[in-house]
Amino acid sequence: MSLDYLLTILKPMLEGAQATILLFIIAIIASIPLGFLLTLAVRSSIKPVAWLAHSYIYLMRGTPLLLQLLVIVFGLPLLPVVGDYLVLDRFVAACIGFILNYAAYFAEIFRGGLLAIDKGQYEAAQVLGLNRWQTTTKVVLPQMFRIALPAVANESVTLVKDTALLYAVAVPELLHFAQTAVNRDFTIVPFFVAALIYLLITMVLTLFFKWLERRMRFE
Amino acid sequence: MAVVEVKELKKSFGPLEVLKRISFEVERNEVIAVIGPSGSGKSTMLRSLVHLEEVEGGTIAIQGENLVLNGQYAKAKHLKEITSKMGMVFQQFNLFPHLTVIQNLELAPKLVKQRAEEGYRKRAMDLLAKVGLSDKADVFPSKLSGGQKQRVAIARALMMNPEILLFDEPTSALDPELTGEVLDVMKELAKEHMTMIVVTHEMEFARDVADRVLFMDQGEIVEEGSPDELFGNPKKERTKAFLSRTMRNRSAE
Ligand SMILES: Nc1ncnc2c1ncn2[C@@H]1O[C@H](COP(=O)(O)OP(=O)(O)OP(=O)(O)O)[C@@H](O)[C@H]1O
Ligand SMILES: [Mg+2]
Repeated sequence: MSLDYLLTILKPMLEGAQATILLFIIAIIASIPLGFLLTLAVRSSIKPVAWLAHSYIYLMRGTPLLLQLLVIVFGLPLLPVVGDYLVLDRFVAACIGFILNYAAYFAEIFRGGLLAIDKGQYEAAQVLGLNRWQTTTKVVLPQMFRIALPAVANESVTLVKDTALLYAVAVPELLHFAQTAVNRDFTIVPFFVAALIYLLITMVLTLFFKWLERRMRFE
Repeated sequence: MAVVEVKELKKSFGPLEVLKRISFEVERNEVIAVIGPSGSGKSTMLRSLVHLEEVEGGTIAIQGENLVLNGQYAKAKHLKEITSKMGMVFQQFNLFPHLTVIQNLELAPKLVKQRAEEGYRKRAMDLLAKVGLSDKADVFPSKLSGGQKQRVAIARALMMNPEILLFDEPTSALDPELTGEVLDVMKELAKEHMTMIVVTHEMEFARDVADRVLFMDQGEIVEEGSPDELFGNPKKERTKAFLSRTMRNRSAE
């Protein structure tokens, strides 16, 4: 195994990693706010809204992400009448799948964060004269995000690894190029290179969240 | 005119009647101690005054304005105005953990009163000095002892300039050696003629500081009187039984 060989496979693999990272960024940026909105919907006093949000979360968490991706990428275009309008670029379709799925997980995480806030916090805010909106934005949400942070970090690392599912819907990404090189060159090395790249990404992510947690420690 | 007027207050949790037609009054500048066994409804009564509990019947008037009249609550806006005359200090402090001490003090006045901001900083620092915590302005509550937390909570309540301050067992969550510093702050407030209603297990505090003591048992005010009367010469059997039980526990400690 030579350095030259490493360099030749590294180039396409890093290009593949771009798709991986792009998907990760798009999914995380969109699914966190969406998940938060879902949390609010679950807690809505309007019953049908709460029920819909609940069912949505249940559906997304109760079925495999891979199945959801296959449905969006390959299944929807087969629908009668509307199917023709649902033929999306596969990468775009996959992004939508990830966003819809991860929003449900983040919603659960935020809901847990809300439940962990002591009822005394609401009472103190009320007696001090804060209205509902002020209580939510100034007292509840800052604490909720802090409580949710470790779980959000965890989920983000999982998301990095789940991007490998792009492989199954034939979007070229990191793992795809690794597999191609393995088949072509009859060597295991590209798999290790792929593993190292995933590790690098998750390490950066973990360090970022550690830093964020330290900043928000309230000490 | 009484600052707090409570008539025939009724409240149940499901089948459990927690307040059974409670009536009492509090005059301006009075310090009232409320004592009684666990589960007698002391917290529920206190929380009803600031609308943390909704009552089913009776009347609560604060400075002559009806918060509830015969079970009918005032309109939302008016209701808020009335409850804003009262501050509350909780057993568990309920400080905002994500804010520093000074931010805890400033949050509500900034949001609720919305006047020029410089005034609040000065007032907050004055109140911190008053409770002996000037040096803690910029630390988070997690770095404070229980006694310090409770003193911050008292300062936070005072920021809103309440006419009446309610305390629900302010020292019960504290280690015994830390209760003194909190009680001292409360004694100071009493000396300044703050109107206070204090639910407490601290019999010495009730005896030394309160102008009047209410004894509650099973959702009723069984007896009320000056500390001398109530501790020295209780009239009702239930009061005698409660007092001798608490005194015995006290001497056993
Ligand atoms: N939210 C609630 N739901 C149901 N029951 C309640 C609720 N809050 C209080 N209770 C019940 O009402 C009764 C009175 O409670 P309360 O907290 O007012 O008593 P207390 O005199 O403050 O007691 P303690 O000295 O233990 O604080 C108790 O039997 C309690 O279990
Ligand atoms: Mg109580």
